[in-house]
Amino acid sequence: MKSTFNFGGTRALLMLSAALCLLTAAASAQSSSGQLTITMNVQSSISLIFQNNPSVGTPGFCPLTNAGTNNVGLDLGTAAFPGSFHTATCVNYQHLTAAFYEVSSAFDVVVTKANSSSPNYRMAAQISTPPPTGVIWLINNVTLTDTGFTQLDAADNFGQPITKTLQVQVRNNVPAQILLETITFLATAN
Amino acid sequence: MTMLKTYISILRGTALAATLLLAGSALAQTTATGVINGVLVNKSGISLQFDSDPAGVTLGAAGTNAATVNFGNISAFGPLAGGVTRPSVTAANFTVRTIFDVQVVQGGLNSTTYTLTANLAAAAPTGLSYRVDAITLTTVAQTVQTNAAYNTDIAHNLDLVVLTAAPGAGGPAVATPLTTTINFTATAN
Repeated sequence: MKSTFNFGGTRALLMLSAALCLLTAAASAQSSSGQLTITMNVQSSISLIFQNNPSVGTPGFCPLTNAGTNNVGLDLGTAAFPGSFHTATCVNYQHLTAAFYEVSSAFDVVVTKANSSSPNYRMAAQISTPPPTGVIWLINNVTLTDTGFTQLDAADNFGQPITKTLQVQVRNNVPAQILLETITFLATAN
Repeated sequence: MTMLKTYISILRGTALAATLLLAGSALAQTTATGVINGVLVNKSGISLQFDSDPAGVTLGAAGTNAATVNFGNISAFGPLAGGVTRPSVTAANFTVRTIFDVQVVQGGLNSTTYTLTANLAAAAPTGLSYRVDAITLTTVAQTVQTNAAYNTDIAHNLDLVVLTAAPGAGGPAVATPLTTTINFTATAN
């Protein structure tokens, strides 16, 4: 009798345990998982932007339009040989010789690098179209052409503003016209 | 006398035949029945899948729980692949982003929402960190979303924050494919 009672109790306990296990399983929060595998390839890169020089607004430092980007405008106003005429107060105007005058304005170039071990960069520039006879476009006294990039600097430091001066020299026999050039600057990591 | 015996024998045969016919008639009316005891165990379940988002990179193996996303070439200033944007560039780092969708389906559960967690399967490569919806991931699971709805694509931002330092100076390896796996878990609320 005692033996029979114990067997029945054990079975009851087993059934109770099983029921509890089932209840526990049912009560636990269900979840599902997934894996998202990401691949990428980091590349070194550099950027070039034009900025206004801290002296902007004073003679020799005209303001850029769209400053802080790599596509800016620089309006040098109107100028003429006779009487050292020039409308923009922010330009430098001078007679170079008895036949040439020059209008100039300076701005800054900032080149930034990322994920690169390059210590510095070289800078070059090129004008977009052949200027009229008697007109010369220069950066820091280096004459630009439309046939290829002309190197301006060999080793400029990244992240530091480099001041460049755009000069337009005009002979006194150049007919009245709008002188327009797009000057492309090229920075190349060394 | 012989005829009488013959007559009696015929009567007996006739009676036996009638009995047999009656018995046969009773057997033809027997019916057979059967039952099928159908059993279906309806289990509860929950599943997670990754889907391509229209604004993001097209996933590899989209629609499964083991998808891939390829950012292609990434850089601070250079061009990016379609579906990849560059929300920020600072002197210290830049961020590239794509968008992917997660869809979770449940059945048999008394649950209306789920919680989504994510963790890196392994430590991130040098110079890189990963964010899902602005949550910076580690190898420990973190909650990305609570009370998410079932049965619909939910978009998530996947950001890669890349240090701009040069390789060997804290920045990531360049021009080398880098791979990382993120584990996602959806748990029924």
